[in-house]
Amino acid sequence: MKQGAIAIVPLAAGAALYGFAFGLLAAQVGFPWWGVGLMSASVHAGSSQIVAVEQFSGASGVLGAALAGAALNLRYVGIIASLSEILAGLSLRAKLLAIHITGDENWALTMAERARTPNVGASFLIGSGVVMIGVWTISTTAGAIVGAVLPDLEKFGLGFAFTAAFIAMARGLWRGRVVALPWLVAFGATVTVVSLGLPRAYAIVVGAACGLIASCAVRRFGRGAA
Amino acid sequence: MSGGHWILVLTLAVAAFSIRLIGLVAGDRIRSSRHAWLLDDLPGLIVVSLVAASLAGQPFQTWVAAAVALAVAVLTNHVIATMCIGVLAYAGLAWAGG
Repeated sequence: MKQGAIAIVPLAAGAALYGFAFGLLAAQVGFPWWGVGLMSASVHAGSSQIVAVEQFSGASGVLGAALAGAALNLRYVGIIASLSEILAGLSLRAKLLAIHITGDENWALTMAERARTPNVGASFLIGSGVVMIGVWTISTTAGAIVGAVLPDLEKFGLGFAFTAAFIAMARGLWRGRVVALPWLVAFGATVTVVSLGLPRAYAIVVGAACGLIASCAVRRFGRGAA
Repeated sequence: MSGGHWILVLTLAVAAFSIRLIGLVAGDRIRSSRHAWLLDDLPGLIVVSLVAASLAGQPFQTWVAAAVALAVAVLTNHVIATMCIGVLAYAGLAWAGG
């Protein structure tokens, strides 16, 4: 466990910066510092949290914000499924703890270390996960405490930080040319729906749905052409 | 914290843990199903739609700042760098525009 806790420190430092920035933004849109800390400890998913908070501060309702945030977490179905061998043999309680504290960083580190040293397993994952969720919760809370005492930073363009964060997330999710057309369709459909005067929350749903249809078509056409 | 804040935190926490639990219980089956591509494609499409929704109807300088942020994201693949330089570009363009 100690091995994982030490090995994750450089990645945790990077997550702390991101966490601090998220906490600052969340405080600026009205979340109290303890609410940010509670969210970080109970949700433990950076991109989901930033999307949900941005949507909640805008025109979306609570359910829309939660669904948009949760949808970004769908990758965890695959991530957790890939841990089945590592988690085998643990008690149910330990498994539930392990899946909650598993994030992108400690999952990737555990898999990479396991590829080199096969005896790296659940204790490494849990040790690194405990550090990650601890750092994430503390850094987001600290950001929210600072954000609450700062003046309204919207006039300095802080609201654009959400857009920039989404752009950075998109870069991380880019999987090559196969997603180019679906992404263009989703982008165009969303802009069109907003331009028609409909609420942004609906536009996001319509955009993602149109993108999925395009993605389905690309897969079918690609398979047919192959 | 308002009732809305509480509901958001609790709903998101339940949803996030449920997704992880589905991965634990049925992840292998889902990944081998013919609908597995939805898991791969949906997150990216939602993020792109979020970017589009935040840019639609905005002035030209916001689109320029977004292009700067995109360039930084492509070059660095770093969230904090993209946010910092994007906000600086946005603030600089707003200041220059008056």
